[in-house]
Amino acid sequence: MDQVHVEAPAFSARAACVEREFYSDFPLVLNYVARLMDDIDSAAAVTCAAFRQIADGLRHRPAGEGMRRAEVLRVATELSRQSLRPRRWFRRKRALQVTLEGFPQSEARRALRRDTVQRALSALPFEARAMILLRDFVKLSYDELAEVVDVAPRKLVHALDRSRAEFGEIYDYIKF
Amino acid sequence: MTTSSFERNRCTRISPSAVLDDRLDGKDLEWARDHLRRCEACRERVEDFREMLLRVGRLPSAAVGPAAMDEAFALSIPDRLRSEAGSRSYDIAPAPPMPTVPAPTELPPSLRPEVSSIPDLLTELEREIFRDEPAQDHPTRLSPTPEPLYPTMVEPEEIESVRPAEPVQHMSFYEPAPTEPDPIEAVAEPDVAPPAQAEALPEPLRAVPVDSHREAEHDDPSRWDAAPSLTSERSVDEEPVLPFSQDAEVATPVPPHKPDTAMRIAVGLGAAACVLLAAVLYEGGWLSKVVTGSATAAKVAATANVRPSATVRASVSPSQSLSPTTAPAAPVLFTLGNGVSGGTVYRIRPGTAIAGYTRLVFDIRGTGLPTMVITRPDDLHVAVTFQNTTASGVPVNGIRSYQIAGVEPAVQQGADGAITIDLARPVRVTAFTLPATGSYAWRLVVDLHTS
Repeated sequence: MDQVHVEAPAFSARAACVEREFYSDFPLVLNYVARLMDDIDSAAAVTCAAFRQIADGLRHRPAGEGMRRAEVLRVATELSRQSLRPRRWFRRKRALQVTLEGFPQSEARRALRRDTVQRALSALPFEARAMILLRDFVKLSYDELAEVVDVAPRKLVHALDRSRAEFGEIYDYIKF
Repeated sequence: MTTSSFERNRCTRISPSAVLDDRLDGKDLEWARDHLRRCEACRERVEDFREMLLRVGRLPSAAVGPAAMDEAFALSIPDRLRSEAGSRSYDIAPAPPMPTVPAPTELPPSLRPEVSSIPDLLTELEREIFRDEPAQDHPTRLSPTPEPLYPTMVEPEEIESVRPAEPVQHMSFYEPAPTEPDPIEAVAEPDVAPPAQAEALPEPLRAVPVDSHREAEHDDPSRWDAAPSLTSERSVDEEPVLPFSQDAEVATPVPPHKPDTAMRIAVGLGAAACVLLAAVLYEGGWLSKVVTGSATAAKVAATANVRPSATVRASVSPSQSLSPTTAPAAPVLFTLGNGVSGGTVYRIRPGTAIAGYTRLVFDIRGTGLPTMVITRPDDLHVAVTFQNTTASGVPVNGIRSYQIAGVEPAVQQGADGAITIDLARPVRVTAFTLPATGSYAWRLVVDLHTS
């Protein structure tokens, strides 16, 4: 019965790849965006938008290609930046909202607010925050990180140094 | 991958990120290891960075339930791709979400009852009102209960309407959401969707996701393909008013926009009028009168500062002309020298580094010592005036010590040159002169003792 079920649907390779990548990457990207924006409520909308943007672009690509995590993270970072960018009052729009059932759980929201590390992160400039989160939270490699934040790999070490040093100063300042 | 900088006398030759992220190899790695063995500052920095790295790495991640994942998948992946994938995700997904969903949904309801109660009270109120009235006033518009809610709540759109609209739309997004609104929804539309209730019955908590606007989205899957961008999501950014207003053909989308633009124009005009009024008042002298006292005083002070340097200097006592910043009565500490004119102060030498005092030696080129007046305008300044001597251009950079915060560039006031020493703390001043001997020029020596 199971074998029949597996064989039956017309399963395109790309669709299977996309689905697999989505289910493996979505929680990670969602948490990254929530930390980056310091707003767990808007994170779902931004993450969905990032995945959708990548999925829409797949039609112009070769058949075997799926959604790469670094690419999704790059789009998610850019969308987060746009979402956080201050707008003048006459152009102000409300933030994207997407409701996901059961997310975020209340304790997750409370944890995000209480966390001293998160508060220190949210005090950092956007670029520094993204860099630290991508490297230390998402655990991207340097090549992926360079692609996401659009910084030359040879400059990444210094950029990370600066970001981490700034983060450390802020953390030491607010930890008590 | 090392850096070669120092910050505040602290060695920063090692880049901690390079060490922690294994970016070093070969000679660099050897050098870094060797340096870390010897340099405690670098070792500390690397340890600090390692702690930070671990702190961020240990940040907890919010769990995303299977139902939320499915929902997100449906929202994120275009219909075209999902259909290519066949029924796979929907075959697998329904089984796990059932047991996992109840846990989060049970917790929240008691947390925010008041938020969810707002829309329901409104709908009930609406229904009460319209039930009493004759049916011809509101013939068909209000019968599907959830639909009219959106236009009425969302259309005001800008700021005020956000509050009431959010709880209705995204009730399930807040803590109490999943369970709270839906029982009430179920009460609100008993006549419209009894089959949905019947489906939800076996799993009482699964009844939560049955969401009126969610169904409205899934009704037409073509919307995903028709509008590949965010429009198909329930994104508030994309102004959900439009789809709803198109569906329901509500005639009210125009009025809320008018007051907004009118209000914006009114605010803009008001602001412009305020600016113009302020400008007119200022030009007319109404505002300037308030500040007149201080402004005129400042003008007088400025002219007094500028003019007397040329004129008053010759007639008034030296203490008047010596300190350009502080005007009249700076106490004179010392008056030294032989009154020789035409000399030049060409160098200031900070003395030996002895903790108790700092010595400044003013080297003067000329035939003798000019008259030098040392005054103290306040506790943190000492001014030295060289009468009939050129002092401008003498280098003063980098003169700092425990007692001295800095030396201001010399000011030439007519024939007199004045040099002001900024003190870091109150000091006791002693001074003496030395004649030219050998390779040394005429000198004024000022010692600043820590009092």
